[in-house]
Amino acid sequence: MIELLAKLGRASLGVFERLGRGHLFLLAVLGRLPGLALRPRLLLQQMWSVGVQSLLIIVVSGSFVGMVLGLQGYNTLVTFGAEESLGVVVAKSLLRELGPVIAALLFAGRAGSALTAEIGFMKATEQLSAMEMMAVDPLGRVVAPRFVAGLLSMPLLAAIFTAIGVLGGYFCGVGLLGVDEGAFWSQMQAKVTLVQDVVNGVVIKSLAFGLVVSWIAVFEGYDAVPTSEGVSAATTRTVVHSSLAILGLDFVLTGLMFN
Amino acid sequence: MKDPRLIEISVGAFVALGLAALLMLAMKVANLAEFSAPQGYEVRAYFDNIGGLQVRSPVKMGGVVVGRVTAISYDSERYQAKVTLRIERGYDHIPNDTAANIYTAGLLGEQYVGLEAGGEENYLRENSEITITQSAVVLEKAMQEFLYNKTAKSSGPKS
Amino acid sequence: MNTPAPASQPIVRIRDLHFRRGARAIFNGVNLEIPRGKVTAILGPSGTGKTTLLRLIGAQIAPTSGTVEVDGVNVQSLAVKPLYELRKRMGMLFQSGALLTDLTVFENVAFPLREHTDLPASLLRSLVLMKLEMVGLRGARDLYPRELSGGMARRAALARAIALDPSMILYDEPFSGQDPISMGILVRLIRELNDALGLTSVLVSHDVAETSSIADYLFILAGATIVGAGTPAELRESDSPIIRQFMGGLPDGPVPFHFPAPPLLDDLLDAGP
Repeated sequence: MIELLAKLGRASLGVFERLGRGHLFLLAVLGRLPGLALRPRLLLQQMWSVGVQSLLIIVVSGSFVGMVLGLQGYNTLVTFGAEESLGVVVAKSLLRELGPVIAALLFAGRAGSALTAEIGFMKATEQLSAMEMMAVDPLGRVVAPRFVAGLLSMPLLAAIFTAIGVLGGYFCGVGLLGVDEGAFWSQMQAKVTLVQDVVNGVVIKSLAFGLVVSWIAVFEGYDAVPTSEGVSAATTRTVVHSSLAILGLDFVLTGLMFN
Repeated sequence: MKDPRLIEISVGAFVALGLAALLMLAMKVANLAEFSAPQGYEVRAYFDNIGGLQVRSPVKMGGVVVGRVTAISYDSERYQAKVTLRIERGYDHIPNDTAANIYTAGLLGEQYVGLEAGGEENYLRENSEITITQSAVVLEKAMQEFLYNKTAKSSGPKS
Repeated sequence: MNTPAPASQPIVRIRDLHFRRGARAIFNGVNLEIPRGKVTAILGPSGTGKTTLLRLIGAQIAPTSGTVEVDGVNVQSLAVKPLYELRKRMGMLFQSGALLTDLTVFENVAFPLREHTDLPASLLRSLVLMKLEMVGLRGARDLYPRELSGGMARRAALARAIALDPSMILYDEPFSGQDPISMGILVRLIRELNDALGLTSVLVSHDVAETSSIADYLFILAGATIVGAGTPAELRESDSPIIRQFMGGLPDGPVPFHFPAPPLLDDLLDAGP
């Protein structure tokens, strides 16, 4: 019994320690942002590998999610004779929830894991130490550009995902199932609001997700045990923790925004 | 390292695509253009019951959208719901004795304010009040009345 | 700090250094002085914290107690900026080379120059090519680290370490895992760079033969402290058993073959649950 308590205590101390280290790390990275502003090329390079490289999976998934929403929404709505509202259903569910959440989950799997693996590998092969010894700050040179690139790419990717999704829903509903085109758009436009749905949903939510995913990814990489097992464990943790964080945070944000 | 020019171009295209998507969501999906610059004029109408009417519900005349509901509040002096309607610019020849009714589009559809033009020479202006109003038909009430009438009729001849 | 101290003064001075990792003492009162302009080697069996010593000199980690002075300055007392200035005058060759894997050999050598200087492209190119020429890799400049052999990677890393013309280079196990030919090349390079560029070289190693062939001065590290110091010739003549064991490569002696453990019989009788 005592042993169990001791174990529990040790485990929670470990959790607090990591939590504290993670926050201090975030502060340290934020402190490097002014320096990054002087070197936009570093950021550009990372926007490429974090954002542009994630584009394909975002576009493909977005169109499929939109089309499925179109199909399912139609099937449900047609029983009430309300299939004209398909546009509203597709747009609202994408803008408020599915767009930012699925885009963030995909982003965590595609870009977050890559960030962790990359930084962890650099640590394991002493590249970060070597930079320190060359009087180059790895937090500023390696971590900060990746963090900011993740933070900035996320809302853009979520917007692209959502827009493609709406078009996918349009294609399915109007193109295949014969919903009236005018009703599809006009009902959508009547019910969707800029601040409530577009800004709150796509912009704010995805910025929050981008912050959390990029933070977890660069921290796990930087904090990884510098061996191959350590890096692979850190990569797994990035995907698991960011996915949980996205879903949990989504619940909280939804509660705050749409009540 | 990849060709830096290629990276610059693709990142530029990526950012442009993202912003375009955001713009599309704002313009095409949320119809930002419509309420970006509030134009036209606002009128008031009091209803006993507004049913499921909401802010941004359409205001129609003869089936054509001429404006939107911009605010709904409860007037505790008149014990009525106060609905503010914004009529779009261009519809400035609506007579003063126009009637406002709350209708439902279809059996379960959204509710909207329907205006029926009167015959006066004076037209509604900013802050005018529409005095002739008819409340929303509440489905439960309608059904109650329907059932009541039905039972009254069927039991009527017997008594 | 910019006025170089007189040549007689040691470049690195370590006083009463203690360092522990968890419960284990890595260093227990280490004192040593590294003379300027010489090749100094710190020899010791694996796992005695030789790499840790280099990290302490570079102030990447902090000692539990004691001081590390470089050029008469306590490195632990430095703020980030002056520490980075100090590190610019210190090159370090990591055991793995630690080349940046996403950059070519050329870009790797150019990396510290690009980070710390504003040289025009043509001058930067000539500088990098000169450094690469010194290590014989001018022809390999467009290769990526993954395309290099272990020895070549170490030489490329050496070119990078001297890119900023440091006054001291720290070598971490430069000979481990090298075939005889690249070992020979590295031995010659270390000596030549030291003499041609007027550097101070500090190398930690467990290769007694190779190291004694180039070092001017040797320290032997065992049991968390310095057990012997002197020129290679002096140490070979030493009659201290631990030095004899190490210099002669004997499997057992004062440095035990066994990792500390309870007696074997106890362990065997201690039937687990």
